[in-house]
Amino acid sequence: MRRRAGSLALVASLLAVPVAAQNPEPETRTALIEQEQTEKTTQLHPFEPGKVEKYLNWAETLLAAGEAWHPFFNNAYAGGGFTVGAGYNKFVSPYNTIDARGSITVTGYKRLEAEFIAPNLFKRQGMLSVIGGWREATQVGFYGFGTSNTVDDRANYGFKQPYGQAMLNLRPGRRNLLIRAGFEFTEWNQTPGSGTAPSVDEVYTPAALPGLGASVTYLHPQATVAFDSREVAGYARRGGFYGVTVHDFADRDNKYGFTQLDYEAVQHVPILREAWVLSFHGLVSTTGTKGGEVIPFFMLPSVGGGSSLRGFSSWRFRDRNSLLLQAEWRIMVNRFIDTAVFYDAGKVAAHTSDLNLDHLKNDYGIGIRLHGPLATPLRIDFAKSNEGFSIVWSASAIF
Amino acid sequence: MNTQSSALTRPHPSAARGRPSGGRRRVAAVGLVVGLSLAVVASVSTAGRRFYTDDPISREPESRDASGAGVEDIGLFYELTYNLFVTSRYLPSNTRARNINTIDEVPDSSWFTNRIGTTTITAADVERGPVAGPAPAPERWTIIREKSAGANPGFTAKDANGETWFLGFDPPSNPEGATAAVVVASKFFWALGYNQVEMFISTFDPQKVVIEPGATKKRPSGARTPFTQDDLNAVLEGVARNKDGTYRVAAGRLLPGKVIGSFRYSGTRPDDPNDIVPHEHRRDLRALRVFGAWTNLTDLKAGNTLDTLMTENGRGIVKHILQDVGSTFGMVNREHEWDIGWEHFYEGDATMRRLVSFGFALSPWQTVKYKEYPSIHRFEGERFDPRAWRPQTPTTPYMEMRGDDAFWAARRVMAFNDDLIRAAVHTGQYSDPAAERHLAHVLGQRRDTIGRVYLTAVNPISSPRLDPGGSLTFENPAVAGGFAKEPTAYRAVWSRFDNATGNTSPIGETRSTSTTEAGPRDLPSAPDSFLEVDLSAESAQFPSWQQPVRTFFRRTSAGWKLVGLERLPETLDGPAAASSKNPEPK
Repeated sequence: MRRRAGSLALVASLLAVPVAAQNPEPETRTALIEQEQTEKTTQLHPFEPGKVEKYLNWAETLLAAGEAWHPFFNNAYAGGGFTVGAGYNKFVSPYNTIDARGSITVTGYKRLEAEFIAPNLFKRQGMLSVIGGWREATQVGFYGFGTSNTVDDRANYGFKQPYGQAMLNLRPGRRNLLIRAGFEFTEWNQTPGSGTAPSVDEVYTPAALPGLGASVTYLHPQATVAFDSREVAGYARRGGFYGVTVHDFADRDNKYGFTQLDYEAVQHVPILREAWVLSFHGLVSTTGTKGGEVIPFFMLPSVGGGSSLRGFSSWRFRDRNSLLLQAEWRIMVNRFIDTAVFYDAGKVAAHTSDLNLDHLKNDYGIGIRLHGPLATPLRIDFAKSNEGFSIVWSASAIF
Repeated sequence: MNTQSSALTRPHPSAARGRPSGGRRRVAAVGLVVGLSLAVVASVSTAGRRFYTDDPISREPESRDASGAGVEDIGLFYELTYNLFVTSRYLPSNTRARNINTIDEVPDSSWFTNRIGTTTITAADVERGPVAGPAPAPERWTIIREKSAGANPGFTAKDANGETWFLGFDPPSNPEGATAAVVVASKFFWALGYNQVEMFISTFDPQKVVIEPGATKKRPSGARTPFTQDDLNAVLEGVARNKDGTYRVAAGRLLPGKVIGSFRYSGTRPDDPNDIVPHEHRRDLRALRVFGAWTNLTDLKAGNTLDTLMTENGRGIVKHILQDVGSTFGMVNREHEWDIGWEHFYEGDATMRRLVSFGFALSPWQTVKYKEYPSIHRFEGERFDPRAWRPQTPTTPYMEMRGDDAFWAARRVMAFNDDLIRAAVHTGQYSDPAAERHLAHVLGQRRDTIGRVYLTAVNPISSPRLDPGGSLTFENPAVAGGFAKEPTAYRAVWSRFDNATGNTSPIGETRSTSTTEAGPRDLPSAPDSFLEVDLSAESAQFPSWQQPVRTFFRRTSAGWKLVGLERLPETLDGPAAASSKNPEPK
């Protein structure tokens, strides 16, 4: 536009001087055009982008480079509240990166970590992630075991935790079979809970609440076998994920060791040419004890929070086993925005035989998501349950 | 003096004739300045000729040396953002294209060469298209580097003869689709007049591939490192493979000259002295809205164009090329893009409609029926409406196109008879004859819809000829194409025209029920005398045909020569301007 205005100004200036002072009138159309071209030769200059273009080009370079400061919205532990954070991603080879990042929440949850990612191993069939970090949570909710408690039963606990993890994802033949194996080292150092609810050590005794006050060091190997036909997990409109994960939490002191099995299924069903997607998610977690060892309360499977039962507080229900069922009707608003109507149901139970569809806790709500073809950087869900209304802010897809 | 007109059509600046333009507010403000200047000039000027001796010109001169033009690229992120959120709200100036000559035609230029519709184009011409040299020799490919542009993966490679080519593959979901689309579309756009890359369907045999020792690939870190066998494998694993283990590729010959980036769809190159018409006012670029709709060329972004610096007659000339026309017919960037061609990547109205209705307010792309062939994908002609067609992002010329531009473009589309369409489609080398027939059939359907829509939207009287005896003949392509009934009458208003002053004096009026009518008896006969003849048609079906086409004839020794034709006024306002707005797809 600036250039057009410029060309009009040129015409104006040509007109503003007496005709006699201008070039003689050309005899032909061709000469007239050539006269204008000659005029332009006196004003040639290299292209200079405007401010907006410069800024957006800079942003594109930054995004394309992948080596830059970036926001980081993952908090230390679920339930920490609004999170701010930043990280710096640096390439250490043509494909491999190290990302150093940290975040803090309004409730004082802190997280500092560095992750090394090698995304192109074994001829693009494997991805290795190695993370080392430290985090602190100050007021994690514990409401008792099972689902018969109330929100008034809430007690809080905190922990400080150094952790290290290596995880290898393999896709043999770069197809739908996913094999994941990892090893984690974590040290759970409990601290009294802060916040408005009483601290767990004020409500329970160590005899009533296994693991209360304990500091536990876990060596945690895990393995997953799954069939994953989604294009990407961060934003999918079709395909599914069906997998089983086996965990072994080995306590260095042989007091709190246990095993866990997670069965997970996700299926996206596109309708009306993907303008609608019916998305379903099921997750069953079961635990098993090792001889003479107990499962500490803070490691029990749970439902509740922004990625499970969204109408309930984080960690709202805990027990030895859990069941989560979620359904979403996702509506494409445009290429960058989806809305969703959702329903969540779930429960926890002491025995796997009780993981049925009776007495499910449930919620429902609507959500809006900003997404690209590969990721969902913003998800806002408004959920309603019999315990109230929740707003979930998240920087990732729910499933 | 109309400040919006171009040197290709307007009188010399000393001529004070015409109206100031409307259009955008900023232009209006500049126009005010110009208008004030004009008032000063008018008081001192005498007059200026309307038509020059060489009118209508057939070639836009490139008289100055442009060898100083440098590389000018446009960022994808900027272009996408700007076009979706700024260009889409652009208020068209409703002014006439500025690179047309005085008879409403586009002269040849470094952008455009008149082919179909102006010269005889045979099926063989269409099949050959832009091809000037031999096909690639696929007996051996030597990879130089990866292909960095476009949705489909590929390489830059040398063939067995050492010539450099850009190779593109087909996605696994659409074998033959992408390679055929870019080859077939290059034939259409060449015939339509655009500079095109020489494209061929060829074969890539991984057993006959070598990686040049110096070949590199840009990595995510930005570093260029040696191209490896695994890089080759990575591409081949993601593309359609033939049963014999080879791959079908579209090979584009390396363009001659020095590539200096993309051309922009607005403004002019500030470093090219010959580029004096703002690109949004080039009819050849405005017409891409019609040609794009016909072929479903949805990816109109500047990044798919190229400017090359050539040397012609000792001068540097910037040549403008529609480089990648592969996003055509049913080809999309991603398999599951259903709204391509129906919506821009973002549209506020559609967004709001789906948001408040939870998606129950269905969009047309959700219900349109496709007869799908993998090699064609989603391309249909039943519900096609060129006015409602949408590229991925709008461009400024797309927004600026008005009825006379669309009419001009539609005549070229209509010049493709079924044989020519079939000839172009055949170059796609589809293995499924039904797919080939389907593509040709849909193109025929869409061609006819374009004719029905755009040839009737404005007064279609065309190609007027006045014989020495004063008998006037013309054509009505809307009627000839079967899109309209013969008007009840044609009306011609005859005037003498003073080329020096622009003054007219009436001669008379004639009427006819056919496209031939006898002129008044007292037509001037002196050499270099001029006639102005306003031609209109009375049609109950199309009231807009009452808006006369203004024509000008110059008396020469051989008789009367058409020197001027104005299908629409210089500036549109009121209903005529409003009618150029984009309707919603239905």
